[in-house]
Amino acid sequence: MAFNYDKYLRVEKMPTLWCWGCGDGVILKSFIRAIDKLGIDKDDMCLVSGIGCSGRFSSYVDMNTVHTTHGRTIAYATGIKLANPDKYVVCVAGDGDALAIGGNHTIHGCRRNIDITFILINNFIYGLTNSQTSPTTPQGFWTVSQKAGNIDPTFDACKLAIASGASFVGRETVNSPKKIEKLITQGIEHKGFSFVEINSNCHINLGRKNKMASAMANLDWIDSITVSKKKYDTLSPEEQLNLLPTGVLHQNKEVAEYCEMYAEIQKAHQGERAKITQDDFAKKI
Amino acid sequence: MSATREVISTGNELAAIAAVDAGCTFFGGYPLTPSSEVMHVISDLLPKIGGASIQMEDEIAGICCVIGAGMSGKRALTATSGPGMSLKAENLGLAQMAEVPLVCINVMRGGPSTGLPTRVSQGDIKQASNPSHGDYRSITLCAGNLAECYTETVRAFNLADRFMQPVIVLLDETIGHMHGKAMLPTVEEVKDGIVLRKTFDGAPEDYKPYECEPTAPAVLNPMFEGYRYHYTGLHHDAMGFPTEEIETCRKLIQRLEDKVMAHQDEIELNEEFMCDDLTGEEGEVLIIAYGSVSLAAKEAIRHLRADGIKAGLFRPITIWPSPANKIKEFTDKIKNVLCVELNIRQYTEEIERASSRLDIEGLYKVNGRAISPHEIVSKVKEVF
Amino acid sequence: MAAMVSPENTPVWVNTARCKACDICVDSCPAGVLSMQQEPTSTLGAMISVIAPDSCIGCNECELSCPDFAIYVANKKEFKFAKLTADSKARQEAISNNGFRLPTDYKEAN
Repeated sequence: MAFNYDKYLRVEKMPTLWCWGCGDGVILKSFIRAIDKLGIDKDDMCLVSGIGCSGRFSSYVDMNTVHTTHGRTIAYATGIKLANPDKYVVCVAGDGDALAIGGNHTIHGCRRNIDITFILINNFIYGLTNSQTSPTTPQGFWTVSQKAGNIDPTFDACKLAIASGASFVGRETVNSPKKIEKLITQGIEHKGFSFVEINSNCHINLGRKNKMASAMANLDWIDSITVSKKKYDTLSPEEQLNLLPTGVLHQNKEVAEYCEMYAEIQKAHQGERAKITQDDFAKKI
Repeated sequence: MSATREVISTGNELAAIAAVDAGCTFFGGYPLTPSSEVMHVISDLLPKIGGASIQMEDEIAGICCVIGAGMSGKRALTATSGPGMSLKAENLGLAQMAEVPLVCINVMRGGPSTGLPTRVSQGDIKQASNPSHGDYRSITLCAGNLAECYTETVRAFNLADRFMQPVIVLLDETIGHMHGKAMLPTVEEVKDGIVLRKTFDGAPEDYKPYECEPTAPAVLNPMFEGYRYHYTGLHHDAMGFPTEEIETCRKLIQRLEDKVMAHQDEIELNEEFMCDDLTGEEGEVLIIAYGSVSLAAKEAIRHLRADGIKAGLFRPITIWPSPANKIKEFTDKIKNVLCVELNIRQYTEEIERASSRLDIEGLYKVNGRAISPHEIVSKVKEVF
Repeated sequence: MAAMVSPENTPVWVNTARCKACDICVDSCPAGVLSMQQEPTSTLGAMISVIAPDSCIGCNECELSCPDFAIYVANKKEFKFAKLTADSKARQEAISNNGFRLPTDYKEAN
């Protein structure tokens, strides 16, 4: 008996519309294995995706699914979650969706620490719209909007998530599907905003003009720019400059989760407890 | 509904109270003068009843979280002003396309751009008819007095669920901040009058949310109840999945238009003030006004009649779709028509279109100040 | 756990309706079990084929790395997989060096 993904798929939509070898499919499978392992009922979860290749994620999963406007997955998800706090809400968005147009919502989803699992599929490019620069496209790469070479600097989305207040932050790559499954499992189990970055290959749009035209070559490149957090922490700043750490990068189980605090607000308004004050929080600034 | 319950309040507060009475359990928004009081009031009311209110990080997040709550099956509200409507446009379009019910209150202020944050205008009338790109039909209501801040908000929620789309409720800043007495229906009447969205209760495998008659809205069951389907802003098929198929796309967009226009009788609402004796005689005057301007117009009409001029007010309460047939009926009958608005000709152009007349007179003001009854009286005497 | 019965009690099987011939599973196999084959009717002109099922060691790398739900591996608890042999490794190397296709003139060691 093999693992039956079809139970969680909208099988009539197969095969996926993603390019041959696209990492999105691997992430989708890892996600399905994670929710199966957690025993989550398909009617207890809503999956919200953005615009881009990763945005098509939601079409394939047999749940209540939402395909939002560009950059707004977390804003939609916040409404769905706050209105239905006992349900699971998962977001899937690409690097352009989450970090460019959606940057503001990413920051505030993390800041609120609302119990949503946010899967950032970072393929370092705008794939669906054919190779424009994204906030994570390496400098010097060819992109269709900067054909003489990308001059836009990049940033580490996980560092942004940690600084913004996400209480679970991790990163894995498509080279390690079992680790993706474990990270997503941990993210969903974690009560709070779980920011999970998965580095994926886009050999068709990123790779083709940047010397990695095959899935394997693109995957090898991702391997070369990532390293376990344990190793990363031993490196010098110069060595760290060109590497991204993988694994669980940050977890804090003590931070209040937004819906739980909102339940306290409801109690306060219903006279069941005193108003919320500074004393309710460890962090007072 | 009756008008027996006396409440002393402001327009913004009445709108917030109305939403909760009408079954709203979710508010998402962002502070924007002169609408913020709606959020301030409802943020206290909703948690009391187990609902949720959240101030988001920007106007766009404000509408998105409301659409999300609406998608999950709740009655959801946002409140904003002109600049916020501009920001919300893209996502209002998704709510139109995906047929998600919600109510969006716009307390109009001086524009364009930052404009006059604390002063009145009616400058968002045109915008309300098509805030987002593409083809669809906006449903827009305009409160013309304090009581209507309540009753129109209630009606907006029922219309949103009936037609499965956003409904815009326009207040202008004068009415939003006006403090006074409103005679309202009882809460029981409002609750008895709640008509929730249609849902499908057959077998989940038979459920096709977007397979509808050509003038019917989508049937969107709440999430998490066994009816799993897809929402998208792309053109979509019967189950909500993206498609580019020619006939499916044509029928979908045509249905967004027809589901509203074929049932305008359920949406149209007007007030005809002192129009009963207007028969089309020489010298009769028809004033067309809405929102706070209609209050000044009514006062002006009393003055005009005291001066022997037979004047009446036609006040659209549903602004969009416009009451084109009624407008034509009136403008065919009465020669002297004066349109009074706190913008430059925004609704006048619709009157011209509906009436096929290009000789509609107008009194316009865009400096953030009210139009007084005296100004209307003077204008009537000047042009007619 | 969601389970799918393996047809004819095989270690690994493919769904050619879903396969996009991306080569990743062939690249990931240590044991020369898989090969791409010419298939003029499919989009990329190639299609996955299980050419040496008896060499399958059940490592599951192909299934984990396939983005298209096109390849399945039997459960370790219910199927007795082979061990990795030098012959399997040699075949895999030949396949990997030949554009993920078994060379037409490939001769097994025995």
